[in-house]
Amino acid sequence: MRRVVVVGGSIAAVTAASWLRVRGFDGTITLLSAEKEQPYTRVPLSKTVLSGEATDASTALPPLDDSVVVRLGTRAVSLDTTARRVNVDNGDPVPYDGLVIATGGRARRLSPPGMSGERVLRTLADCVALREDLTRARTVLVVGAGLLGMEIASTCRTLGLEVTVVDREPPLRRVLGPVLAEVVTDAARKHGVSLRTVPGGVRLVGSRTLEGVDADGELLTADVVVSAVGDVPAVDWLTGSGLCLDRGVVTDSRGRVADHIVAAGDAAVVRGSGRRPHWTNAVEQARVAADALLGEDTSGASLPSYFWTNQFGVEVKVAGEPAGLGEPDQAEAAAGSMLLRWSGGAAATVNHTMPVRKLRQLASAP
Amino acid sequence: MTVSIELIPGRCEGHGVCEAIAPEVFQVDDDGMVHLLPGGDHEDATALAAARSCPVAALRATS
Ligand SMILES: Cc1cc2nc3c(=O)[nH]c(=O)nc-3n(C[C@H](O)[C@H](O)[C@H](O)COP(=O)(O)OP(=O)(O)OC[C@H]3O[C@@H](n4cnc5c(N)ncnc54)[C@H](O)[C@@H]3O)c2cc1C
Ligand code: SF4
Repeated sequence: MRRVVVVGGSIAAVTAASWLRVRGFDGTITLLSAEKEQPYTRVPLSKTVLSGEATDASTALPPLDDSVVVRLGTRAVSLDTTARRVNVDNGDPVPYDGLVIATGGRARRLSPPGMSGERVLRTLADCVALREDLTRARTVLVVGAGLLGMEIASTCRTLGLEVTVVDREPPLRRVLGPVLAEVVTDAARKHGVSLRTVPGGVRLVGSRTLEGVDADGELLTADVVVSAVGDVPAVDWLTGSGLCLDRGVVTDSRGRVADHIVAAGDAAVVRGSGRRPHWTNAVEQARVAADALLGEDTSGASLPSYFWTNQFGVEVKVAGEPAGLGEPDQAEAAAGSMLLRWSGGAAATVNHTMPVRKLRQLASAP
Repeated sequence: MTVSIELIPGRCEGHGVCEAIAPEVFQVDDDGMVHLLPGGDHEDATALAAARSCPVAALRATS
């Protein structure tokens, strides 16, 4: 294997490229990224970068070394697994001996094509546009009360805006489970956010421009409407490639998709365990997938997954997946801080300082 | 060319992603913050991979 092509320009792609070098791969590595910016982190885009507290430039990741060819503004449009070539939108097909699929996800939209006015937040460009809109707004309507929607709501409150969040389910339940969700939701209410649960779901109203949101027959309007209703794995370019797609590109536990092809991050769905669209998972999958491409199996030793959120003055760190586990069976609370543990394999802190390594060990301890 | 990895003051949130990759160079202490260990090799590919993995871009590699 002399030529590896990595498709994607974010954390899974960067980690895969870095890790191939760590493992001594000395052939060519070419990274194809649809974005025009050098790889950056999305994590602060709903938090400090949206609020203006941190600059756009502060999101840049340390650059890859010169031995990796980074082609920005280059979108993969299709894949030929027989000829082993990636077809791109701005030049000749790019040949590979090994391929890493790391195209992540894009924001899901609710408005039909041709309707303007719905904001989403996935890329730096989305963040800049939304932030600009917020400077002229007094009211904001956030559709979607998951991690992203609630973080956007929190940031909008710090900017002094009037904020309503609508979802068909109570906020954060699906990702945090009832106990943690209630802690954060309580903080959101205290920060003055109006939370609306609309079991029938919402519909965007308007023809060419968005006029409001139909919430079970009631028309909600705001200066800015932003949807945070999940992301869609960016695997359209793999349609017709023959690879197995099931919402994302299907991998085994080592990230393997087919001969000489691996995938990692938000684009990947692991057979048997699904998709985990969080930062740490993208990093860990990219390492295991890079190893698999080089013929090594390093999938065994992993700790429970880890993710976090910061909103309404609450910092939540979660190891494992507490959402399906109900009430924690161990809880310690001190003034304003909590440590929770579920015997099913999860642990979480709320405004509580503990190295994440220890939190993850705690989650997996018998 | 010597590369040196620095922590940008005030940014680390203790997510420990760097430490999980390169524990010889990064260590998150009980205060929940990362510390660069003395004598760590900043030019090592593993340390640089770790510096690129920080979700809040708190690590900078300068040469
Ligand atoms: C605003 C926001 C806040 C977040 N906050 C947190 C958080 O606090 N904690 C947490 O754990 N996670 C958070 N996440 C999730 C985390 O950012 C993602 O899990 C992570 O970015 C996934 O990385 P990835 O490399 O797999 O995919 P992505 O980051 O989606 O990157 C995919 C890359 O591939 C490129 N690409 C796509 N299609 C093509 C193509 N056809 N050709 C070439 N290039 C292509 C894209 O341009 C992009 O560069 C947040 C996400 C967002 C949007
Ligand atoms: S990855 Fe970043 S936030 Fe996490 S411990 Fe390292 S420097 Fe701090």
